[in-house]
Amino acid sequence: MKYQYWLSNIPGVGCKTIHRLLGQAGSAEEIYFLKKEQLEKLSGLSDRQVHAITDRKKNWNLEEKYAALGESGISFLSCEMESYPKQLRNIVDAPYSLYIKGKMPDFSKRRVAVVGARMCSEYGKKMAEQIGEKLAFCGAEVLSGMARGIDAYGHIGALKAGGNTYAVLGCGVNICYPRTNQKLYEDILSHGGIISEYPPETEPIAQLFPARNRIISALSDVVVIVEAKERSGSLITADFALEQGKDIYAVPGRVTDSLSMGCNNLIRQGAGIINSVEDFVKDLELYACNDTTQENFNKLLLEKDESLVYACLSLRPKSMEELLKKTGFAMPQMADILQRLIQKDFITESFKNYYIRKI
Amino acid sequence: MYSLVTTSIIQGIKSIPVYVEADVSDGMPLFEMVGSLSPEVKESKERVRTALKNTGYILPPKRITINFIPANIRKTGSGFDLPVVAAVLCAIGIVPEEALKDTMVVGEISLSGEVKPVNGILPMVAEAKERGVTRCIVPAENHTEAQLVKEIEIFAVQSIAEMIHILNGGTYIEKEIGKAVAKTIRMLDFSDIQGQHFVKRACEVAVSGMHNLLMIGPPGAGKTMTAMRIPTILPPLDEKEQMELSKIYSVSGQFQLREQLMEERPFRCPHHTITTQGLVGGGLIPKPGEISLAHKGVLFLDELPEFKQNTIEILRQPMEEKEVRLVRVNGTYEYPADFILVAAMNPCKCGYYPDMQKCRCTAASIERYINRISQPLLDRIDICVETPQIKFEELNGTKKEECSDTIRERVIEVHAIQKKRYQKEDFQFNSQIPAARIAEYCALSKDQGKYMKKIYKQLNLTARSYHKILKVARTLADMDGTENILDAHLNEAVCYRNIDKRFWRDSL
Repeated sequence: MKYQYWLSNIPGVGCKTIHRLLGQAGSAEEIYFLKKEQLEKLSGLSDRQVHAITDRKKNWNLEEKYAALGESGISFLSCEMESYPKQLRNIVDAPYSLYIKGKMPDFSKRRVAVVGARMCSEYGKKMAEQIGEKLAFCGAEVLSGMARGIDAYGHIGALKAGGNTYAVLGCGVNICYPRTNQKLYEDILSHGGIISEYPPETEPIAQLFPARNRIISALSDVVVIVEAKERSGSLITADFALEQGKDIYAVPGRVTDSLSMGCNNLIRQGAGIINSVEDFVKDLELYACNDTTQENFNKLLLEKDESLVYACLSLRPKSMEELLKKTGFAMPQMADILQRLIQKDFITESFKNYYIRKI
Repeated sequence: MYSLVTTSIIQGIKSIPVYVEADVSDGMPLFEMVGSLSPEVKESKERVRTALKNTGYILPPKRITINFIPANIRKTGSGFDLPVVAAVLCAIGIVPEEALKDTMVVGEISLSGEVKPVNGILPMVAEAKERGVTRCIVPAENHTEAQLVKEIEIFAVQSIAEMIHILNGGTYIEKEIGKAVAKTIRMLDFSDIQGQHFVKRACEVAVSGMHNLLMIGPPGAGKTMTAMRIPTILPPLDEKEQMELSKIYSVSGQFQLREQLMEERPFRCPHHTITTQGLVGGGLIPKPGEISLAHKGVLFLDELPEFKQNTIEILRQPMEEKEVRLVRVNGTYEYPADFILVAAMNPCKCGYYPDMQKCRCTAASIERYINRISQPLLDRIDICVETPQIKFEELNGTKKEECSDTIRERVIEVHAIQKKRYQKEDFQFNSQIPAARIAEYCALSKDQGKYMKKIYKQLNLTARSYHKILKVARTLADMDGTENILDAHLNEAVCYRNIDKRFWRDSL
């Protein structure tokens, strides 16, 4: 174990190189005891990498480092170990090591990845949250990348329903990136886990992020893309899922919405369509429950002017000016109606003076 | 022989009397000037000698000493040339002594003996009148400005020869110098703006309670257009205010050839590259900055996040005190700066957030953009509204919109209500209610208190932002003419509450 931990901690030696080394030397322990000359003889190692390996041997206290990792509450898995998930073992370019803070996904349950654009619309946020919530409610586990936007809302939805959710990061598991998701990070730790193939303390660098998508799709059964532009990072996840033979679902959007282009394209190419969250969970054969939490609010509670304004609102944020024009109400009255609707929890202010429906 | 001439120096927008003494006595031929003089005043010596020669008077080969009283004020500026000439002429007996009694002389001269205009004539003449001066000799080009002060005799002279002529009892012929600036006819009106009812309403509320305003919106939403029209709904200036404003412009040399006091409320929109000195005033010899030029009017800061942070931070003290105080070695300069701050900004760098179809910004770039706004400045803005993009149909709308005069009449009424309510206080408007008096002037009923408590928690308000909501609600109640704040007023005030950077970030 300590040798494997050492092997995954050599700067400049990534998972591809490690697999090449293992193919020739057998195991991490054997690699550790190779002499410099022997290393040089191995194929596929640059001088710099040989240097990095010998260097690492000098300044790495095997026992101490491994004990420290255990103490920090981060568990370590490598593909040389039995407990390494088989879902990951068989994929192309399988990660050599896995660091886990919190729990590992429960492979006896259905696991669904909910991914999408970082800069997403209000519609995207709502859909991601609803899907996450519904899935968790039906007993499935939600995986995502804890990025801003869709990813975060997928997690938030699952947490809202009290389910487990897992985030695969492109940096060390002890680093919360983006920092603004600190609260989410902690919530996920207590209801699921944070997973990464990179050792703790690895800084978030842009190049590392696309690669983690292969782990997200490999760990799940189904991948849902909520919002993606025509060329979006989320489509990388879809490509991986396709390669790994997973089911892909996409949330459709309007033809004119550039944020839904990627999703609509996926549907055109044969991805499953999520025309309603209920149908989607039925497709997944998750019938766990008949929930009545949603859509049953009593519209009778609204007064006439309130329901008029409510009818003008949708998931697309509408500005105050637009509402004034549509309804013909004057300003003081409109402000009053909107505040009442907010108080009754029917709508919310998504941005300064922009309002959306709350479902 | 000895002579004494009265003149004036500007400090801030006030003018301080200065006396120029001249003495001609026997001794080595010499022309000396003393009395805490700055280089440009010292140079006056050469100008005076040559100009007199070119006018036809040769200085006698005697010891001529000029002294400036009081000696503890540093004499700066170019207006001392003419008084020195007058004093010398009097001392050598060309001008009678009694002619200079109760007369103020100001002006710069050229070598040919022509008299050139100076800045700050208006405050000088106004102050001279209060001091009991009965006549003023000023440069011809400052004539229109000087005669705005009533009940004082003004002689506008073009040359030294003309001054000598007048001081010797010659007839004064009034003449037209340059083209007077025509009385500005207001071209802007709120009825020019189609639609945008929300922003218009916010402007009216802001002006009614003298609240500062922030507009957030994409490019081309009419933020600048709206801001430019805000002065048109402010009540007209009274005579005292007009005089004060005209003095500021006079001192900064921007009064031009107006034939009356400034009646229009000023609208100043400095570019975001402006320096601290340009904004609040300053320099070695202090000059009023943009905030003083916006006195009693509107200071519009377009592209707020683009302004340098320290330039904006410096606004805090003048906004509280309604004046700028610049302390220099040679004295303290005070400029009034009582203005409504109107600021405009885009919601993100490209300007289209939260329209995700158009916005090309990343979350990080939006956050950087927001971080550029100064929180202390935001704290001084009571009303914040969003201005959406204008649709084509609206742009070409023919609907009759309310004109500025109608709005202005309502504003005048609301101002009257506030003036009456606060007549015993040292503040005048709702926006100026100090925190300690809010409970008294913005009293809420028990139910309203409960309701606001809920809102306070829901919106994560701070004490400061809560107070701002109450102050705006007070203004809304005044606009409705109600004694107490009603629920609807609170609800509307909540809509105008300022942006919260935290809230902004969370919505990303």
